[in-house]
Amino acid sequence: MDECQSAIPAHDGDLHVVAAAHHIVKALGTTKNLSDDLRKILIDLDAHLSLITSNIDSKGGKGFVEVEERLKRVERKIVIWESDRIMIWDSGPKEVSDYLEAVDEVQTLIDSLRGLSMNENQKQKELLHRASSLLQMAMSRLEEELIHMLVKHKQQSEPTYMPSPSSQRNVVYNESVVSLDNESAKEASSKSSRSDECGEYIVDLVPEHVIPDIKSIAKVMFASDYGQEFCEAFIGVRKEALEQHFDILENGKLSIEDVLKMEWCSLSTEMNKWTWSMKIIFRVYLMSEKRLCDQVLGEFGSVNSFCFLEIAKTTILCLLNFGEAIAMGPQEPEKLLRLLDMYETLADLVLDIDALFSEDGGSFVRLEFHKLLEGLADSVKAAFNTFRVAVSSNGSLYPFPGGGVHPLSKYVMNYISMFPDYSSTLNLLLEDQHSDVASLVSEPQCGPTASLSTSCPMACHLRSITSSLESNLHKKSKLYKDEALQHIFLMNNLHYMVQKVKGSELRPFFGDEWIRKHNAKFQQHEMNYERVTWSSVVLLLKDDNPGSSSLSKSAFKEKCKGFSIAFEEVYKNQTSWCIPDPQLREDLRISTSLKVVHAYRTFLGRNPAHVDDKCIKHTVEDVEKLLLDLFEGSPRSLRNSRRMMKT
Amino acid sequence: MTGTDQSSFLGRISIRRNQVNAMEGYHEQEIEDLELFQKQLSDRFAELLSAPDDGPTEAFLSISWIRKLVDVFLCCETECKAILLMERDAAQISKPPLDRLIPELLERVVKAMDICNAVTNGLELVRHCQKLAEIAVSALEQKPFGEGQARRAKKALVSLMSAMHVDDKESSVQKTAERSWSFGRRSGNKDRHHGHYRSLSWQVAKHWSASKQIHAMTMNLAAPRGPEASCLPAPVYILSLIIVFVMWVLIAAIPCQERSGLTTHLPINKHVNWTHSLASIHDKIGEEWKKKEKKGMAGLLYEMQKMEKLGQSLIEFTDSYQFPGEKEKLDEVAAQVAELAEVCRRMDEGLVPLQMLIREAFHRLVRNRTEFLDVLEQGGPVV
Repeated sequence: MDECQSAIPAHDGDLHVVAAAHHIVKALGTTKNLSDDLRKILIDLDAHLSLITSNIDSKGGKGFVEVEERLKRVERKIVIWESDRIMIWDSGPKEVSDYLEAVDEVQTLIDSLRGLSMNENQKQKELLHRASSLLQMAMSRLEEELIHMLVKHKQQSEPTYMPSPSSQRNVVYNESVVSLDNESAKEASSKSSRSDECGEYIVDLVPEHVIPDIKSIAKVMFASDYGQEFCEAFIGVRKEALEQHFDILENGKLSIEDVLKMEWCSLSTEMNKWTWSMKIIFRVYLMSEKRLCDQVLGEFGSVNSFCFLEIAKTTILCLLNFGEAIAMGPQEPEKLLRLLDMYETLADLVLDIDALFSEDGGSFVRLEFHKLLEGLADSVKAAFNTFRVAVSSNGSLYPFPGGGVHPLSKYVMNYISMFPDYSSTLNLLLEDQHSDVASLVSEPQCGPTASLSTSCPMACHLRSITSSLESNLHKKSKLYKDEALQHIFLMNNLHYMVQKVKGSELRPFFGDEWIRKHNAKFQQHEMNYERVTWSSVVLLLKDDNPGSSSLSKSAFKEKCKGFSIAFEEVYKNQTSWCIPDPQLREDLRISTSLKVVHAYRTFLGRNPAHVDDKCIKHTVEDVEKLLLDLFEGSPRSLRNSRRMMKT
Repeated sequence: MTGTDQSSFLGRISIRRNQVNAMEGYHEQEIEDLELFQKQLSDRFAELLSAPDDGPTEAFLSISWIRKLVDVFLCCETECKAILLMERDAAQISKPPLDRLIPELLERVVKAMDICNAVTNGLELVRHCQKLAEIAVSALEQKPFGEGQARRAKKALVSLMSAMHVDDKESSVQKTAERSWSFGRRSGNKDRHHGHYRSLSWQVAKHWSASKQIHAMTMNLAAPRGPEASCLPAPVYILSLIIVFVMWVLIAAIPCQERSGLTTHLPINKHVNWTHSLASIHDKIGEEWKKKEKKGMAGLLYEMQKMEKLGQSLIEFTDSYQFPGEKEKLDEVAAQVAELAEVCRRMDEGLVPLQMLIREAFHRLVRNRTEFLDVLEQGGPVV
C-alpha cells in the first residue's frame, strides 16, 4: 500500500486520503481499546508518515534522522536481551509484549525503507542493512525462545487415563496345537477387555496457556519471512516428543528379520503392544498433535499439514513396518486371535488415518495403511485356514490314557469360544470362503430355514471346525484296542464339546439343533459302551432254560464264578478309565448299576437255595459299591484285595 | 529397460514354456532365455555406468541415477522370477541345489527389506538437509545482502553440515535429545549452531547395522560353476547378486544406520560377460567410499556431496562477510547460490518419488518372498 499511496500526486488521490483520515479520527474518538491489529496499522501509518515527511524535509541523508532514532531505540530493546541469560517468555508479559512490539517496529521500518525507491541513497541503504541485521538477531532469538518454550512445556508424564501396557498384556494365548499331546491345555482367559478402548482422547500436548505464546512467535516469524525456520524448530521438538511417547509405550524397535525369527511368546507380546500403541498413537497423540498444529499453524495454509506429516512420519513408519512384518510372517494358528486384534484395531482406525492425512502429501500414509489392512485380512484368513488344517491333521501315535477329554478338544473349544467376540470381523473376512464350507457342513443349520446367527459365515466355519475335530477324534479313538474305551473316549469328548457350546457365547452360532444332535451322539456312545462292556457279562447270568425254576448247584456255581471273573476283569480295566465330568460319570454309573445290579439281583433271587457265602464271591451290595470305583482314573484290582483279605 | 522390452521378454518366456514344455530341447531354450536376459542386464548396467560424473542431469549417483538403478532392480526382479517360476513345476524348485539356494535367497530378501526401510529413514535426513539448504538459499538470495542475512544463511548452513556429518552410530534417542536441546543461555553455551538440529530417529532396530547386513548377504553368494551355470542356479545367483548390489549402492549413497566397515568387496564373478559394467560401477563406488569413509559423511549421493562442497564454501563466505562486500566476490557467491538452489530443486523433485520407489521395491520384495514360499510349499516340505 505504501508505494502506491506515496506515489500518487493527483489531487483526487489526496482527497481520498483526507476523507479516509477524517474517518479514522472520527472512529478513534469513539474507541477506547485498540485491538492489536488496529494498533499495528496505526503504528505503520505513523512510521510511514514520519518517513514521508523526513523525505520531503530534506532530499539528502539528514532526513533519515528520525528513522535512525527509532531504529536506535528498538536496537537497544532487542540487543539488551542478547547479553541476558533469562528467556524473555520466562520474564513476564510486559517484557514479551515489549519485545514483540520492538520486532514489529523493526519489520515496519524495513518495510518502509524498502518501500522507498532506492535512488542510490547511502544512508537509506545503511539503515536498511542495520534493520535487517537487527531483524535476524531478533528472529534467531525468537527461534531459541520457541524451542525453549516447546521443550519446557512438553508434557512428559503419561496421561493418567492410560492403562499401563502391562495390563493389556494379560491375555496371551501362547499355546500351540503342535505341542498339545504333552501338556494339558490351559483355559484361556477372555480376550483383552474391550471396555478400556481409549476412544478419542485429545490431550494438551502443550499446556493451553502456552499456545498463544507459540502463536505469537509463529505470527512474527512468518510475517518476517522466517516461516521455514519456525517450521524446522517446531517439527524438531514435536517430532522428538512424539518419539518419546512412542518409546514409553515400550515398542521395541524391531527389524523385519527380528520379527520373523521371534519366538511366539515374545511375538504375541509385541503384537499386543502394537495393537495398543496404534490406538494410543493415533487416537491420542496424533489427534492431539493435529490439533496443536491446527492451533499454531492453522492460518498458514499448507505449512500446517506439511509440519504435521513431518512430525508423525517416522513414528508411523515404525508402526507400519511391524504390521507389515507380521502380515508377511507364517500364519500359525496360534496367531489368529492376535491377528484379529491387529486387524480390528487398524480397521477401526482407518477412517481416522484418512482424516488425519487427508492432504496430498499424506496420501502415501493413507495408501500404506489401507494396504496393511488388506494384508492383515489375508493373514487372518490364512491363520484361520491353518487352524482348521491343524485341527483335522493333529495326529497322535499313542492312545490318550484313560479315554478322557483330549487336549486337542480343550484347545479347540476354548480357542473358538473366543471367536464370538470377533464375529462381525470374522463374518466379513470369511464371507468369500463361505460357500465351500457351507457345502462341506451338510447340517440343517446352513439350510434356508436356519436362523441368522446359525447361518452366518462364522457359524458355518465354526461347525466345520468342530466337525473336523470330531473326525480327528474318531481317528484318535481307533488307537484304543478296547472298543469300550473307544466309546468312552468319544463320549467324553463329544460331551465336552456340547458343554462348551452350551455354556458360552458359541451357543447361538451352533444352534439347538446342533446341540440336540450332539447330545444324541454322545448318548449313543454311552449306550454302545454299556453294550460292549456289560452285555456279555450280564449274558453269563442268563437262564439257559427259562422253563425250569432253578439251576443245579454246580451250574449256579459255574455261572457265579464266570460272572466274578468277568466283573473283576472289567473292574481292573475300567477303574483306570476316566470320565472327568462328575455328572456324566454319575449318570453312566447309575445306568450301569441298573443294568448289572438288577441282573445280578434277579439271578441270585431266582436261586435262593444255592445262595451261601462260599460260592458267591460278591454280594449285590458289593457289586453296587464296586461300580462306584469305575472311571475314577486310578487303577485297582479286586484279586489283590481279595487275597489280602484272605490272608 | 523400457516397458515394452520387458513385456516382450516376459511374453517370450511364457509362450516358449507353453510350446516347448513337452518337447525335446527344452533345456536349450532355457539357456537361450537366460542368455537374452543376461544381455539385457548387461545393457542396463552399461547405461548406468555411462552416466557422467558431474553434470546437470543424471550424474553418477545422483537422485535420478539411483531411481534408474532401482528401476533396473525392479525389472530384473520381475524377469528373474519369470525365468524361475513361470509355468514351472514346483518340484523342480525344491530339488537340490535349489532347496538350499532359494531359502538363502529369501534370507537375503528379508535383509533387503530392512535395508529398504533404513534407507527410507535415511532419505528423511536428506530431506531435512534440503530444507536447511533452502533456508540458506533464500537468505543468500536477499537483495540487498546484509550481515543479518549472512548470519541467517550461516546458521542454516552450519546446521546442515552437522546434520550431514552426524555419526551413524549415534542414533540412540536419549543421546541426541541431550545434545540437541542442551544448548541455550542457562547452560552458558552461546553457540547457537544447534538450532536446527533434529533427532535421528532412523533406527531400524537396536544394534542393527547396515554394513553387517550386507556382509551377511554376501555369505555363500557364489557364482554357479560348471553345468549349474546354465540352469536354474544361474538366475538365483543373478537375482541374489543384484539384490545385494543394489542394496549396497543404496547404503553407500544414502545415510543409513551403522555403515562403518561397509564391505567394499562384493563377490562379483567377473568371468561372465554381463557383470562387466556392474563390476565397474562397483569398483568406482568402492573407491569413492574408501576415500570418503574416514571423514564421516552423509553418503555418496551426488546431490549431498555437491551440497556439502557448496555449503562449506558458503560458510567461509558468510564467516568473513562484511557489508556491503566486494562485487566480484558477490558475483562468485551468486553463482554458488544458484547451484545450491538447483540442487535443492532437484532434491525437491526427486526425493519423494525416490522414497516411493524404494517403498515399491520393498513391497516387491515382500511379494517376491511370498511367491517363492508358495511355490516351495507346493513343491514339498520346506526345511
